[in-house]
Amino acid sequence: MIVETLPVGLGELKVGSRPGQVLVCYGLGSCVGLTLWDPVSHVGVMVHVVLPDSSLSRGQDSLPGKFADTGVKAAIDEVVRAGANRSRLTARIAGGARMLNVVGAGTKLDIGARNADAVRTQLQFHKIRLAADDTGGTYGRTLQLFIDSGRLLVSTVGRGEREL
Amino acid sequence: MNLQTSEFDILQSIVIRALEDSANSLSSMTTGRIQMQNPRLSFLPLNVVPGIAGGPATVVCAVYLGIEGDLSGHLMLLFGLQSACGLVDLLMEQPVGTTAVLDEIGISALAETGNVCGSGFMNAISDRTGLKVIPTTPAVVVDMAGAILESVVTELYLNGDEVLVVETGFNGEVPGHFLLMPDTDSMARLIAALEGIQ
Repeated sequence: MIVETLPVGLGELKVGSRPGQVLVCYGLGSCVGLTLWDPVSHVGVMVHVVLPDSSLSRGQDSLPGKFADTGVKAAIDEVVRAGANRSRLTARIAGGARMLNVVGAGTKLDIGARNADAVRTQLQFHKIRLAADDTGGTYGRTLQLFIDSGRLLVSTVGRGEREL
Repeated sequence: MNLQTSEFDILQSIVIRALEDSANSLSSMTTGRIQMQNPRLSFLPLNVVPGIAGGPATVVCAVYLGIEGDLSGHLMLLFGLQSACGLVDLLMEQPVGTTAVLDEIGISALAETGNVCGSGFMNAISDRTGLKVIPTTPAVVVDMAGAILESVVTELYLNGDEVLVVETGFNGEVPGHFLLMPDTDSMARLIAALEGIQ
């Protein structure tokens, strides 16, 4: 099996449908990595959600994965288009940390918690089951989804690795 | 960023002078000779910022300060772990390579570096532009570069698309990044102040 690593950058969304493919969000901080995976077709998707709501946008940047609302919808559409069955999809999320605890910076930097809340709300709205949730804290996470097995690995600096 | 060449030149000279000032403050604090060398300014798209320090999964040490007052935004010193240890050695006036692990004393020395550099830098900006800018207390974080950087650019992502990055090193031995990230409105104010100087 040829291993093919597909990095998912800020605001990006990538679908995997071949064995050997690994979808990766490197160094998630306040962003949320969302994965959807179908255990029968072995098709999955990963999104690197940056912000909670597309109505916040003042820019022209139109990456669908950038916002929780557009990101969750696009992830479902794309993974279904690639052959997944919507009713079998389960979601797992990680990230949404608060990396910088700074006195005086107010709540502006706690966008991580808002991102995680927004993704959960959108999953509920689209009736996708949230199977695992590893969000919050004050540390970064790297997220790897192995397309053939559906294994989702969360690695950290100094806090080890775990499977979701 | 829509800066005319002349504005970029002024910004560059202000930033370089400000960095010299902050290195001088640092030197006088340690009675040693600490210099920041060959600072290079560039504007980078926000989405590439998490990758600037050796890739998003690289473990780095960040000294972060918020910017408040007439300008708002973020200021960050970013070092690889080896550079961070080397900087601690420079601060403690011991040979670079002595510190192998960042302990509490090292972290607090780095926080102080952030304080001194940040205040020195912002005072220099204030002096030359007339804008009042104040740093928050520093935070030191050791984690994946991507995680730290995306947490800062996220907020800017709402309305901005580029960030000013200054690459520099201390005494040529400890390379690092100095990131100045005013929000969009603040960048406009900074540019307006630069136009006033012209």
